[in-house]
This record gives sequence, C-alpha cells and structure tokens, in this order.
Amino acid sequence: MATEKQSGLVQGTLDMLILKTLALEPMHGYGIGVRLDQISKGVFQVNAGSLFPAFRRLERDGLIKAEWRATENNRRAKYYALTPQGRARLARAAKDWETQTAAISRIMRASLGEI
Amino acid sequence: MLLRKVANGLRALLRRRETEQDLDDELRAYLETAVEQNLAAGMNLEQARRAARVALGSVEATKDAVRDVGWESLVESIWQDVRHALRGLRRSPAFAAVAILTLALGIGINTAIFSVVNGLLLRSLPVAQPERLALVSSPRAIEGGFPAGWNYNVWEQIHKRQDGFDGAIAWSVFLHRLDLAQVGERQPADGLFVSAKFFQELGVPMLAGRPFTSEEDVLGQPESRVAVISYGFWQRRFGGAADAIGQTLSINRVPITVVGIAPPAFLGPEVGRAFEIALPIAASPVILHDPAWAGPTGRSYLAVMLRLRPRQSMESGTALLQGMQRQVIQAAMPQDGQWGPLHDEMMKDQFSLTPASAGTSELRREYSASLMTMLAIAGLILLIACANIANLLLARSAAARHELSVRLALGAPRRRLIQQLLVESLVLSGFGAIAGLLLAGWGSRLLVGQLSTWFERVVLDVSIDWRVLAFTAIVSALTALLFGTIPAIRASRVAPAAAVKESLANRLSGGRLIRLRGGLVAAQVGLSLVLLITAALFIRSFGRIAALPLGFDGDRVLVVDVNTSRTALSPTNRGVFLERLADTVRTIPGVTGAGVSLNTPVNRGVTAVSEFTAVGGPELPPTERRAIVNLVTSGWFETYGMTLRSGRVIDMRDTAAGALVAVVNEEFARRFFPNREALGGSVVEALPGLEKAVPITVAGIVGNAVDQLLTDDPIPTIYRPLVQFTVPMPLTEVSLSVRAASGSPALLARDVSTALTSFDRNLAFGFNPLTDQLEAARQKERLVAWLAGSFGALALLLAAVGLHGVTSYTVERRRREIGIRMALGAQRHDVVRLAVRQTLLMTLAGIAVGVAVAAGVTRYLQALLFGITPLDPVSFIAAATLFIAVALFACYLPARRAATIDPMNALRCE
Repeated sequence: MATEKQSGLVQGTLDMLILKTLALEPMHGYGIGVRLDQISKGVFQVNAGSLFPAFRRLERDGLIKAEWRATENNRRAKYYALTPQGRARLARAAKDWETQTAAISRIMRASLGEI
Repeated sequence: MLLRKVANGLRALLRRRETEQDLDDELRAYLETAVEQNLAAGMNLEQARRAARVALGSVEATKDAVRDVGWESLVESIWQDVRHALRGLRRSPAFAAVAILTLALGIGINTAIFSVVNGLLLRSLPVAQPERLALVSSPRAIEGGFPAGWNYNVWEQIHKRQDGFDGAIAWSVFLHRLDLAQVGERQPADGLFVSAKFFQELGVPMLAGRPFTSEEDVLGQPESRVAVISYGFWQRRFGGAADAIGQTLSINRVPITVVGIAPPAFLGPEVGRAFEIALPIAASPVILHDPAWAGPTGRSYLAVMLRLRPRQSMESGTALLQGMQRQVIQAAMPQDGQWGPLHDEMMKDQFSLTPASAGTSELRREYSASLMTMLAIAGLILLIACANIANLLLARSAAARHELSVRLALGAPRRRLIQQLLVESLVLSGFGAIAGLLLAGWGSRLLVGQLSTWFERVVLDVSIDWRVLAFTAIVSALTALLFGTIPAIRASRVAPAAAVKESLANRLSGGRLIRLRGGLVAAQVGLSLVLLITAALFIRSFGRIAALPLGFDGDRVLVVDVNTSRTALSPTNRGVFLERLADTVRTIPGVTGAGVSLNTPVNRGVTAVSEFTAVGGPELPPTERRAIVNLVTSGWFETYGMTLRSGRVIDMRDTAAGALVAVVNEEFARRFFPNREALGGSVVEALPGLEKAVPITVAGIVGNAVDQLLTDDPIPTIYRPLVQFTVPMPLTEVSLSVRAASGSPALLARDVSTALTSFDRNLAFGFNPLTDQLEAARQKERLVAWLAGSFGALALLLAAVGLHGVTSYTVERRRREIGIRMALGAQRHDVVRLAVRQTLLMTLAGIAVGVAVAAGVTRYLQALLFGITPLDPVSFIAAATLFIAVALFACYLPARRAATIDPMNALRCE
C-alpha cells in the first residue's frame, strides 16, 4: 500500500537511481534516501516503503550486496555496495536512458510541421 | 538468473528467521538514523521521533512489501493461509464435514465417470508407439457403425502388400467363446484369433515364452495349434505356475499347446473386452469347426491394422492403401467368380485409414454418447455442490467480517485477504478431491461392473493415471474458484475498520447478501429438480419395461446352450436325436418340462426369419410377409408355460414323415388370416426359389411372446416341429430349456449335465438361467434408471443440505431479532415462519424454474423413454412433491431450533 503514493517515478527508474547513488560509495538505506532527495532537489522523496523492497530486489538479482558496518556515529547499519554486475547494469541502464530521453525530448520539442 | 532466483528463494525460506531479524535490524537502524538527523536539524526529541516515524510509514506494510519481493514470499504466505484454513476447519468441524462431503460427492462422481471415459475413450493401448497405428476401414463401414470387418482373403492380400508400411496385423473383431472342457459342461474362455506377427508388430513383449511365428499362421498346418494366453487367464487357469508354457489345453476339444504368456497390461486390441486365449487365425477353421472362418468363402470378421512408418501421415498412408485397392480386391475376390456383385461393391467403397492409438471398441461406439451425457449431468451435480459451498462460505465470511476488516485496517493488502479466502477454498476442495478420488475408485468399478452381462464380460482399465489425476485437480481447482471467488471478493470488500463499529441494524439487513444467497438457493433447487424429474422419468420408464407382459413364465426355466458339432448328426436324424434328448432330461427328478428349440427368448442369438403367404389369403407386401421361425421339439411350449389360445401345441404326434404342421402366435394369425379363422388354415414359405413349397397346416395358436427386445411390438412368429426341419443346413447350436418343479432352476445344472454327458459324450453345453437373460435384456434401461436415480438422489441430498445450511444461517444471524420478537410475545409458529419464509419462497421459485426447464429439456430424452411421454405428469408431480417434502424437512429442523431460542440468552449474547 505504501508504494502506491510514490508515483512520479517511471517504473524501474528507482532501481537505476539507487544503483547510481551507490556508484560513488557504499551507503546505508537512510543515506540513500537522503541522497536521492538532495540530488533531485526534493523532486524525488522516496520513502522506506519503496526503498526497502527495491534493496531486496536488487540484492536478489545480484546487483548490490549488503554488509553490516559501523556508521560515522558508531551505529551499526546495513551498507549496500555495487557488485560488478550492478556496475555493468548501471552503465547499460544509463546508456539506454540517455538514448530514450534524447528521443523523447526531440519528439516533445518537435514543431507542428515535423509531426 | 532463474537459477539464482530459485537459490535465493530457497535460502530465504530456509533461513527465514535470520532474514526477518536482519530486516528488523535494518528498519530500526533506519529509524534511529532518521531521529538522529532530525535532532541534528534542530527538532526536539518528541518531534524528531514523530517525523522519523512518519517518514518510515507503516513498518508492517514495508516489511510485507520487502517480503513480497521474492517468489518464496508467495509460497510462505500460502503456507500460512493453508495453516490458517486448517485451523479454521478444525474449529468448525460440522462445516468442514458438510463441505468436504459435498465436494467429495461432487468431485467423486465426476472423477468416476471421467475414469471410465478415460479407460474407454482416451487411454492409449499399452503397445509400442500407438500413435502410428491405423485401422483399415472404409467410408461405408464407418457409416454402418462397424468400421472393421474384412474377410480372410482381403487380409491376406493386404498382408502381402504391406511393404509401404511398418507392418500389418489382423485379429478377429469379436471374442469367441471357446470351450476348455474335454467333456460335458462348457468351461468358457474368451478367444481371440490373431495374425502371426500380432504381438511383435504391436510391440507387446511376452511375459514368458514366445509369440507366434509365421509358420504357425498357415492354413491347414498342424503347427497352428498353439496359443498365447493372457496374464489373467494364466493366473486363473494355471495359478501363475511357471510351467504353463508347453502345457496342452483342450480348446473346443482340440489339443492346443501354450507357447507364450502376454503381459498383465495387455488386455487385447479392443478396449472394454479382454481376451484370454489368443490363437493364430489359421487355427480358426479347426477350432470353430467351420472352414468358412478362414477359407475362400471367408466371413468378414477380421480387423486389419497397419503401422505407419515414422513421419508417414494418415493421409499418405490412405493414399498408398487406395493405390493397392484394385489389386487387393481383384486378387481376393475375382470379379468373374462367385464374388461378382461383392467385388464391384468393394471396388466402389474406397479403403481409408483411421487413427487407432486407443484401439478399437464396440463398447466405445455403444456408450461414448451416454458417457458424455453422464459427464455433463455429473457437471451439473458439481454445480449444485458449488452453490452449496458458496452459500456456506458466504455465511462463514459474513461471520468473519470483523476479523477481516480489522486486518484491512492494520494495513493488510486486499489481495492478501482474497488470497487467504481463496486458499481456504482450495484447501476445502483439495480435501474434497482426495475423498472424491477414493469414492471414484469405487464408483468407476461399480459402473463398469454394471456394464457386464451374462453374454459379455466388460473389462476396462479404470485405474487412476495422470489423466484422471489432472482432471480431478483441474476440476477441483475450478470448483474452488467457482464457489470461492464470490464470497472472497465480497468479504474483502469490507471497509477497513467498518465492521468493527458495524451496528446491529447493519447486520440485520445485509440485503444484497441475502439476495445473492437467495439466488444461489433458487438456482440450486432448480437444477436439482431437473435431475430429479429426469430420474423419475427413467425410473417410471424402466418400471414400464419391467412390467411388460412376456408371454411366457421364465422364472423357473434353465436354458442350456447345446453344441452338437461333435456328434454325428445329419439333417434327417437330428430331429429324433433332439426329441430323445428332451425325453431323457424330462425324466430327471425335479424337472417338470423340457424341450429343445432353435431359439429361446432374449438369448441374443440369431433369430431365423422367413417369408410366408397364407393359402387363399391376401397378397401382402414383402416386408409384411416376414415372420420369425422357431423350431421346437415336443414339450417346449409347456416348459415356457405359453398360453394356448386354440388348437394344440407341438407334441409327439408330429413326426418327420407326418403332415407338415405349425403353431403360430396371435400376431401371425392376425396378419396372415385377417377376418378368418387361422386354425386349420395353411401357409407356405414364400421365399424366392421355394415356389414348390409344401403348405403347412396351422395346428394351434398361442399368445404373443417376447422375442429378443422386450420393447418390440409383437412380431408374427411361426413355430415348427424340429423333426420336420430336414433342410440340409447345419444346426449345431440349439437350446435345451428345462423347467424346474420348484426353486432356482440353476440347481438343476448338475443333474442335467450328468444326463447330457451320459446321453452323448460329444455334446458341449453351457447353462444360463432365463432370469439372467431377462435381466440382461433390461440391462441398458436398468443402468440408465440406476444412474439417473443415483444422480437424482444425490442432487436431492445436496439441495437438502444446502437448504438446511441456509436456514440455519438465517436463524443464527437473526438470533437477536428473534429473541426480541419472542420477548415481545411472538408465538412459536411466528418464529418458524420468520425463519423459513424467505428460504421457502426461494425454493418455490427454484421449483417453478426447475419444472419449466425440465419441461423444456426432457423431450431430448424421448428416444430413451418407453411407455411414457417426456412430460409424464406423474413423474413431474412426484418429483416436485418429493422435493417440496424434503425441502420442508430440511428447513424445518433449523427453524424448530429457532423456536426454542431463549429470548434472554439471545439478547445477552450480542
């Protein structure tokens, strides 16, 4: 039920964004959420209800792996990191995304005559 | 990828606790980090915690969503639901028992009929690559309902030209009743004549010994006196002894050596009939004492099957076969010989191949339509059962509203609730299916047992195979969906927490639910009544048949089939021989009458028919000239207790040398002697070539009697003295009828047997009480009445259970209201009326619908009914009355309980 309100995100995009966020460094769940919020300047507010199932999904597919570690505040937290497959998937997804968005924006910007 | 998913899922299932713990820890860490960050952002502790919780949302919902990621979560939740359902069923054993029993009956009857359908229609022969088998047939043969029947010559010619195929085999279409006895009473065994390579070409390996060789299927050679016996016969006759191979059997008094034993799964090429002894076709003239079986004048009794080559289609096989038809027919029956007309006919009727992977079957042709009808009726019964269970489930889910709405309020997804309710239905139908399978095993054997009669042993493999299992699984899953979906969707439609605060008023109305249930009741009642009316029609129809006047008294008659082919009889001395035989039997103590005849009533034998004209009578059209001819010795009419209308019966006065006489039945007298006295008149046989036939004097007239079919109108019949029948044609199969003074005629068998053997050692004979034959003559009608009756009774029972359930539920739901009414002074009968009114109204509506539907559909049964119309008012009224009585009773029980409700208790318990 919690996922229903998380519209605005194209289906499957959330996985890509998480992979992208993890491309820099391993992070824990809360951190990933905050980072998405920050980078998107508040456009994507991803709550726990969609984040955690996505983690589970990605982990299942072998794209990320998890590890319990201490945080900077000396708490234990589960850190996620990209696996080689995850990195490959991200590269592919980024490329696809660019091709698609470029095409879509060309169509959206097209003048009447062109259509 | 898939492998990893499976592995991950399995790991998660095995380490569920760890995974859960991990998720808990992670969510807690998330919350704590969020609180920390909020504090850092300047909130106070209270605000920080609150904001963090809001951001996290429902912890349980999140966990659910995470768990749902893998496939194993579905397995897990289903397993949970299964356990929940089992607990629920254990808590309400009465509901569980009624539901499971109802389903077991519904599913069981479907499975039982399906296993017969499977055994008869679907199962492949247990041979190698059955899909490549093709039966040689022709359009005309298929149209005639008898797709296989070639004479020996045709088979021989096809066999010679089998090069384009992977083999050709032939066998005798009918099982032959062979006699294993060396002397005296027949010891019957079912025999099959097969071509030399029959077992090899089919790919049936011998359990022991060897199959036939080509040298053993050569006409006129003593090598052909060999046999392959079936597994069943090996057990029955030799007790499974290892040394059965090489032993000699006396078959129709010819010594035959056993060379092989067939495997247990192979019952023969014809589904429904099991052979016991297989013999080479070349042995048939010797064993059946008639060269016609395999000689040049061949009878058309062989089925011919070809094995297609790999990747050879039915069409190309047919084309190949048609290409050789000209040569086959020309060689088998030359046009210039005695075959002229038949040759031309067979040239025109083109050969064709039909798929034969499931073997051939006379039984299949006879019963497949009825079986399909039965399957459809069984489907209706299952529908009634579904309506029942849906009703019970609606009642249950209404009671569980509270629980469901609380769970919705706590964040359970709606589909999760639907899943739970559907799993409950599946668990129920699963139990129903298991019990149904057990019932079906018994039911299908019972059904097959009903098909066997004295003249025909029906053996059908109705064991449960993957097809039956799949059928049952699909049927029970569909059933669960059918009865479970509506209640599940309805129940899940409660608003979250609405039921928690649901008021009494709300529970009292629930109008839609009541309408839905009312509709189910009406539909169920209607369907059940249709089945009950059908049952009443068939039972009445059978009653009419059972009450038909036979024209003879068959209760104490023992029929003895006598085969005289071993005795040295000629057309001139056989009459005297048989008269003496009857005389001898008549002297046995306990015998009050005995007579020999060509035919006996309802014996399924061949009835002799000829054409007659009355001397000085009207010229009748050819079809009306026909009459049944029976040849009898003295004492025959007395044995059957036939009514003599005038004149005399055939007795010792009639001799071969004496004047030709006959006794005719009333129908004969009416037809051939209209408006004048038949007694003393004379008739002549009016067959072409018999122009100089001697007139036969009518010496007596007897009442009409049944010949073969009980339901036939009286047929003109003429009885002639056996001694006066000296036409040079074989008369090897005759019947001796013996009348017992008292008691069961079967008890006479031993004495008669002794008498016959000492009269002539070469006589072969077998016993059949006439009552058995009469039973067999009514077999199909009895079977239909029995089945329709069982179906009707089952439908009635299910409807009664359903009505009882609905009324009980109404009473339970309105307990409080009833309590208030009683407290306010309502009388017992008011309460009863309140409890049953609605249900009875729906029942009446259902009865109206049922009668209307039945009136519309029973006309399709016309052909199966005898002596009553499809709208027989007695059947309709009886069925409806019975139904109303049962419905009243089913409603009355719970209503009476309502009347004993203690107002104080009822009011307190809300």
